[in-house]
Amino acid sequence: MGQNLHEFALRIKALFLKRRMDHDMADELEFHQAMLKEKLMRQGLARADAHAEVRRRFGRPDRWHERLRELWQFRRLENLARDLSFSVRVLRKSPGFTIVAILTLALGVGANTTIFSVINGLLLRPLPVPASHQLVVIGTNDNSLRVNYSLSEPMFRGLERKRQVFSDVFAFNHSRLQIKRAGGTENVQGQIVSGNFFSALQTPPLLGRTLTPSDDVKGGNPAGFGVVITEGFWQRWFNRAPDVIGQKLEIDDTLFTVVGVMPKRFIGADPLDRPEMFIPLSTELVIHGTTRSLTAAGFHAWWLTVMARMKPEATVEQANADVAATSSTILHEMIPDADWVANREKLHFQFTAESGSTGFTYIRQYFSKPLLAVFAMCGGVLLLACLNLASLLMARGAARQKELATRLAMGAGRGRLVQQLLVESVLISVTGTIVGLASAPLVSQSLTRLLLSGQSQTHVDTALDPRVFAFAALVAIAASLLIGLIPALRATSSSLNEQMKHGQHTTLARGRQGILPHIMMSAEVALALILVVGAGLLASTVVRLYRSGTGFDPRGVVNLAFSMDQQPLKADALTQFYRHVGEGLSHQPGVKSVSFAFIIPFGHFQWDENASIPGGKEYDIYENSIAPAYFETMRIPLLDGRDFRWTDAGSSGLKIILNQTAARLLAPDRNPIGQTVIKHQGKKTVQYEVVGVVGDAKYESVRSPAPATAYLPMTQQDEDETGSYSAVVRTDGAAAPLVGAAHALAAQMLPELPMPEMTSMEEMVRDSMSAERMMAMLSIFFAFCALVVTAIGLYGTLAYATARRTSEIGIRMALGARRIQVARMVFLENATVAITGTVAGLVAALLASRALASFLYGISTRDPWVLAGSIITLAMIASAASLLPAIRAAGIQPMDAIRCE
Amino acid sequence: MERITDTGDLIQGTLEMLVLKALLRGPLHGYGVAEWIEQTSQQVLKVEEGALYPALHRMELRGLLKARWGASENNRRAKFYELTAEGQKRLGAESHRWARLSSAVAFVMQAS
Repeated sequence: MGQNLHEFALRIKALFLKRRMDHDMADELEFHQAMLKEKLMRQGLARADAHAEVRRRFGRPDRWHERLRELWQFRRLENLARDLSFSVRVLRKSPGFTIVAILTLALGVGANTTIFSVINGLLLRPLPVPASHQLVVIGTNDNSLRVNYSLSEPMFRGLERKRQVFSDVFAFNHSRLQIKRAGGTENVQGQIVSGNFFSALQTPPLLGRTLTPSDDVKGGNPAGFGVVITEGFWQRWFNRAPDVIGQKLEIDDTLFTVVGVMPKRFIGADPLDRPEMFIPLSTELVIHGTTRSLTAAGFHAWWLTVMARMKPEATVEQANADVAATSSTILHEMIPDADWVANREKLHFQFTAESGSTGFTYIRQYFSKPLLAVFAMCGGVLLLACLNLASLLMARGAARQKELATRLAMGAGRGRLVQQLLVESVLISVTGTIVGLASAPLVSQSLTRLLLSGQSQTHVDTALDPRVFAFAALVAIAASLLIGLIPALRATSSSLNEQMKHGQHTTLARGRQGILPHIMMSAEVALALILVVGAGLLASTVVRLYRSGTGFDPRGVVNLAFSMDQQPLKADALTQFYRHVGEGLSHQPGVKSVSFAFIIPFGHFQWDENASIPGGKEYDIYENSIAPAYFETMRIPLLDGRDFRWTDAGSSGLKIILNQTAARLLAPDRNPIGQTVIKHQGKKTVQYEVVGVVGDAKYESVRSPAPATAYLPMTQQDEDETGSYSAVVRTDGAAAPLVGAAHALAAQMLPELPMPEMTSMEEMVRDSMSAERMMAMLSIFFAFCALVVTAIGLYGTLAYATARRTSEIGIRMALGARRIQVARMVFLENATVAITGTVAGLVAALLASRALASFLYGISTRDPWVLAGSIITLAMIASAASLLPAIRAAGIQPMDAIRCE
Repeated sequence: MERITDTGDLIQGTLEMLVLKALLRGPLHGYGVAEWIEQTSQQVLKVEEGALYPALHRMELRGLLKARWGASENNRRAKFYELTAEGQKRLGAESHRWARLSSAVAFVMQAS
């Protein structure tokens, strides 16, 4: 080793002192020659003879230098440097090829890195807490086969008490918290967490202490309710005051004491959430009051995400077996309703545990599959880009055969030539990767914005971490090998020595090139077709979703959500308040009509109950509470009967309006108007009179058809309901001033009401299809890239091949071939490639599109229009790409072509 | 007269051994090494320059020799080579090997 090091150091020295080394070698030899000459002359030779003898013995001095210099060189390294500079020269000589190559690859690598970094942020990155691999997520499972990740408070308390393989079991849920500040309140994103939340996540606080089980007891810590805030909130609210510990915060009308500050890197256990404060689970009952509290709803409310930290020696399998085994005990211990428990047990109710090293977020359920599908498309684009570059390099290698064959003949080793050609492709792929990587962060940010447009509270961290870099490096290496190796091996295969003999008039050249280039180009065409078909299917899905309609007209409708949680108004007073605000809003410029609704379509809330008409079957009916003029504002047609009135109070009998589906379901054989609808609420039976029938409108998402829905007037709502309604405003003016106007109007009666939050109905509709839209947009983009890349490939390979046949074409023309025949001959070469590729692609697309089936809406994976359209698009592009070389070939002047040989 | 050229491993290894031996008595330039071998072998072994210099440079690279520039006996600038500790060790090992090898060859040749 020491010897190698010594040698290495000397070689490095030689590398830098090259000139002096040469000089020294010359001196050394000259000295030897001089000494030798003197000796010969001492022995009696004449000066001239001695000189000749020395010359004879030493030979040419430059060969000496070469031999000695070689000893001192890093042979490989210097060869590499020479190859590199040669490659740069070659690539710079054909800037068009180089730019296309780099851009296609940058696109492939960039797109893959982008999607991977989103996947990484959403699915792969571990939580930033110590030993995150010990975390598990606990869910419940029964016969339905789908794991449910929301648990009720009693179940969680049971698990928390049992523990067994866990050191900590904890629960959390997101909560919008209202914090009182001078002159109003502010909404803050917070989390309600159980006592062991912080001990499980093992992150020490920046200041003070974290919440402990002693905070999570009924009535709170004797010292008062504790709240832990984050560094960001500390900065924003307290301006980093060091005496923040012990300060009071009024959260949802309850006084809390700040007990600790968490550092910025701590984000809790939901990787997409950025809460600003954490309050104990036990205080949920206090801040929400018994009527609204989910804790108070006991085992009926499934709302907590439950996770646990395993003891160091435990495995996820053990944890899973463990919680499954205790399921029954916990149910019996914690849930007072024996019927309910028996029912669950019949369904084989079980707790489950799975790895939670990446935390838990609901978003994953919606986006992991679409993202993986997009990732697959992306991989397709990259493969296509590589195939394309390989084909182009191969075609170029064929065009360079003479150069390469000459170099082989001059004694260059095949390995050296392969190395040189590989250096070229590595140069292309490295540059492409760098360009792709540089653009990835920007693209991935806009991608996540597009993806999560409906969830303003979520943050996907798409930062380029080591995992992303490793992925990009892997992609780059695979790409360079794929691009470079095949063409390099082919271009230098020994049979090519003959190429030199043949020169350019190689009529057999194309035949001899073999079938590989054809296969590669056909594969490229096939891949492009698959991508285009996929894009066509996904795009039609989105179009069909839009066209399927929502049952209402979202254009020009905005929602203003009021949070009345902490306000004193109830029942009639509340109705009066909304009526007042509605009146005021309707006089704003541009406003056409105003109403209110408890649930906004696609707003991720749902309210359903069983209902029937006397003597009829019971059905699950979706419900909503609305103000008069809702149907007018939403442009939902009133088919029969009448709308609600402000005077429809409970005293004149309870009223109800059904949508068409509900009317058909509940009263299939009679006129629904005037019928009685019965709902069982606990032991009470409540009766409603049907006063109207309206058109169907979608409720949860654009994908699911409109459910049977019943509307109740807000004027007859229950005493203890909270009454946080949203104003639904149809306007053709500017929407932004409405927020201020609504706030001002509301403040006349409720001065402390926070600003209402505005969303546009169109956005809600759009956001409810964000996964479909993302897939459609990306797949169209990828398909477009695939088409462009394929066109370039078809054009490029044909152009190279035709250029090599210049003299052959010249001879053909000289022998009487007409220009049109020549053009057709060239054109048909690509046509065979395109046709094989299309057939192969069609078969593959039919198989591959099945994977897309679950994402499609209203369209079959074999939709003939999409398939035909894709093939026609591809055919047109392929023709356009082949036409140019064909026309050029037809323009060849026979005399010039033959002369240039 | 035997010429030592740079072909063949045995001879090359032998040349290196001879060079090491030549330098055992003190630093020499390349010409001096060749002369010493030639004289000491009573003109039997003649070292070709085309073999000598690559060997010297190779041995310098491997750390068996170290080189410095100095003035020759007739006051010219010349490159002097001298043994390193590594080189002395190598010489010991090589002479041992050579002794065994040559006596073995002698045995074989004397067999009747």
